[in-house]
Amino acid sequence: MTEAPSLVEFKNAAIGYGKTVVLKDVSLQVRSGDFLGVLGYNGSGKTTLMRTMLGLIPPLKGRFVLRGGGVPPRFGYVPQKEKLDPIYPLTAHAVAAMGTYRSFDFWGRLRGSRQSAHVRAALKECGAHELEGKMYSELSGGQRQRVLIARALAAQPELLILDEPLAGIDITTQHAVLRLLKRLKDERGLTIIMVSHRVQAEKDLFTHIAWVDGGKVEVGVAAEMLSSGRVNEVFKEEL
Amino acid sequence: MTWDKLVEILRPDFLLHHALYGSVVVGLVCPLVGVYFLLRRLVFWGVALPEVSAAGIACAFLLQGFGLNLLAAGGEAQERHLAIAGSVLFTIAAILGLVWLDRRGKGATEGRVGAVYAVAAALSILFVAWNAAGETEMLGLLKGEIVTISDADFRAMLGAFAATAVCFLVFQSEFLLVSYDRDMAVTLGRRVLLWDLFLYLLIGLVISLGVMTAGPLVIFGFLVIPPMAALPWSRGMLSFSLLASALGGLSAFAGFYISYAYDLPLGPVAVCAAALVLLLSTAASELLPRGHRA
Repeated sequence: MTEAPSLVEFKNAAIGYGKTVVLKDVSLQVRSGDFLGVLGYNGSGKTTLMRTMLGLIPPLKGRFVLRGGGVPPRFGYVPQKEKLDPIYPLTAHAVAAMGTYRSFDFWGRLRGSRQSAHVRAALKECGAHELEGKMYSELSGGQRQRVLIARALAAQPELLILDEPLAGIDITTQHAVLRLLKRLKDERGLTIIMVSHRVQAEKDLFTHIAWVDGGKVEVGVAAEMLSSGRVNEVFKEEL
Repeated sequence: MTWDKLVEILRPDFLLHHALYGSVVVGLVCPLVGVYFLLRRLVFWGVALPEVSAAGIACAFLLQGFGLNLLAAGGEAQERHLAIAGSVLFTIAAILGLVWLDRRGKGATEGRVGAVYAVAAALSILFVAWNAAGETEMLGLLKGEIVTISDADFRAMLGAFAATAVCFLVFQSEFLLVSYDRDMAVTLGRRVLLWDLFLYLLIGLVISLGVMTAGPLVIFGFLVIPPMAALPWSRGMLSFSLLASALGGLSAFAGFYISYAYDLPLGPVAVCAAALVLLLSTAASELLPRGHRA
């Protein structure tokens, strides 16, 4: 059986900001179809690892390649919802439409209606179509999360990266978001990387886990990581 | 009769038509910049940058007073071109400096902007004091007197304002994306730094030309007040920009009319007219829940 192609690969990389190394000796691979959970304590470097994967900060040293050095995969990025300033007078549709802002040619600017249908489809897929005319600033935490996932899907991603998507939303909505992510993986074959500081409900979704702690990253198959070692020790209450 | 005054200022042969059109155009275009100041929470830039622009004008005149004639044309045209050059250079240098310091992420942004304002205000006064020969003309320019501008220069100024307004509307999606979510913009492959620089260049041009046209007080007022009045009624960037621009144009026209009819100074009256619009907008938005607005 042939292995799925690698979308993200680190080899002996050092990751950080400026001269500050946050994580060292990072080696991990994310293959097409994987669902990688990036776990660790607050401040351990999870978000730094995610930002490096997204190309927002360069690795300080070592090897970091996207799709084996070929054309980088299309990213769908779901930031922490608190990161986006609610002062902007934007409807949920306008926020989700930003996923289509990859490029504009002259005629593309005039093709609003086609993009609009595409954005509506993404909102519908996330169960947020009834919110499209509402102001984003007036939505609840769970509703904002759905809109942000729709925005990422509107970018037609191959790789979906989510930063703490379950933080600050009620348990019912958490399960709805997890069901959505499972469907996206199973039905669309989307590769997903999710940063989290817990494993409660999401543990069944992860195919792999990266445990970030003490400046290092330990990576393994989810079942093995959850049944033994440091991850098991830290999360045994939740497991 | 005040009605007669209104008819008079609308006549094509109105003596102060440059001042009227210039005020209204400033009122229409400045809010297009101001919406980004408000949304990026850079409102204090709106205070500091017009003052920097004024310092640039004063510096250009000072250099000319010292015999450094940098431009070929002579007379008033040269003075005006020199003032525009000084204003644009100072403003864009200040923007780039503030952006560079912000990106380093050290210290407080408000503190830096406050320091820039204080230094720019002090330099404006010093530059004028060192150049007693051209003091009257400089004070006129710093206050934004455009009555004596030539037709060619006036048309060039209107063209520059129109071009920047078109850029703000055409590239609105890019400016929104890099302002709202820079990380998302990077993941979509957009050149965030270039779009930011383009936005700052347009901001610098509007402020520089605006200060030449209407003075720093009016520019600060129109950068901030119309967008604040428009925000509660907006449901998207396009409606926000257009509504802010329309309220700015309306306030500027009303300000000019009141100023002319009652022989009051134009700049302060225009700013007070914009403030009245803000007051009405705030009161109405408090009375009318968002769900019942257009």
